[in-house]
Amino acid sequence: MHISDGVLSAQVLAAGWALAGVGTAVGLRKTDPDKIVRVAFASSVFFLASLVNVRIPPSSAHLSLLAPVGLILGWSAFPALLVALLLQALLLQFGGISTLGINAVNVAIPALLASLLFSGPIRRASGPWSAALAFAAGFGAVLLCAAQVAFILYMSDKGMMNVSYFVFAAHLPLAVVEGVVTLFMVSFLKRTAPDLLQGVDR
Amino acid sequence: MTKNRIVLGVFCGLALVFWAAPSALAHGTGYSRSNKAAVVLDFYYSTGETMSYTEFEVASPADPKVKWLKGRTDEDGRVAFVPNAPGDWTVAVFDDEGHRAVAEVNVTQEFLDGGNSAAPDVTPKAAAPQGLDLWLRCGLGVSLLFNVAAFVPLARRRAAKGV
Repeated sequence: MHISDGVLSAQVLAAGWALAGVGTAVGLRKTDPDKIVRVAFASSVFFLASLVNVRIPPSSAHLSLLAPVGLILGWSAFPALLVALLLQALLLQFGGISTLGINAVNVAIPALLASLLFSGPIRRASGPWSAALAFAAGFGAVLLCAAQVAFILYMSDKGMMNVSYFVFAAHLPLAVVEGVVTLFMVSFLKRTAPDLLQGVDR
Repeated sequence: MTKNRIVLGVFCGLALVFWAAPSALAHGTGYSRSNKAAVVLDFYYSTGETMSYTEFEVASPADPKVKWLKGRTDEDGRVAFVPNAPGDWTVAVFDDEGHRAVAEVNVTQEFLDGGNSAAPDVTPKAAAPQGLDLWLRCGLGVSLLFNVAAFVPLARRRAAKGV
């Protein structure tokens, strides 16, 4: 999901910046200033999660925790993830600067959809149902992100259609791992700090 | 008369064969060991894994826009090419997931003349910070995030006092 500079076409980059700008503006308007520390916390979690490598033979992948960030932040995920990606590009050499917009869209949209689709049902459900919904949120967020990356690579270079399928398939094991991690995180938060799953909207 | 025509035809045919012979001979192939100097680069991810079997492109200083050489890295994530002119060469490697690494190689005439014993000027680039540098950068990143977050209530408190 950290697409480097020089890979995508100018049109795709411009579209990414436009979408990221809109999402960030909406996210900033909806953020409750009294809950800004939660935004910083979730942004830090995403920033550090990329350093955690999961061994998936024959290679490895890194965590992203898109669904947990989305469940905690909702629309505020856009500015939080944009800032985290900027810091990753500047400090850790992950991704690029010109691709910041499109990378933010790739991760923020799955996080936001996880919040819109699963936040309410997870809060209302209990026991195995809550765990299943949390797994589905984590699993689906990663797959959606992978599908977006595959589509974006295809839009930049139609010759990459075959490898686009590969990108999607290669993320299936990671989606399972993220689903399990999301399941445990949500279960823990529901027991200890359920208000964190209420979002940070005004 | 017919016999003369047959002889003339055979003679013309043979003349045509010998005239076209250099082109015909070009269909054969051969090889020999080259003594030219090669540039060899290793590409890898921040996890330590090599960028195996990923596409690469080499651009020469004569025309950076032209793909001078295209191919795939080998099993060990290695790219090898033989430059034919001094100057700044660019090697770009990109995988199927949007990751891209670019290496700048400064090739001197001395390297071209010196065979494999000389080394081209390559400034290595780490895939990501390592060790203490990595943890310091992580700490800086998290600190920046919380400092930005702390600025918001401070600004609101000052604005409220101002009212």
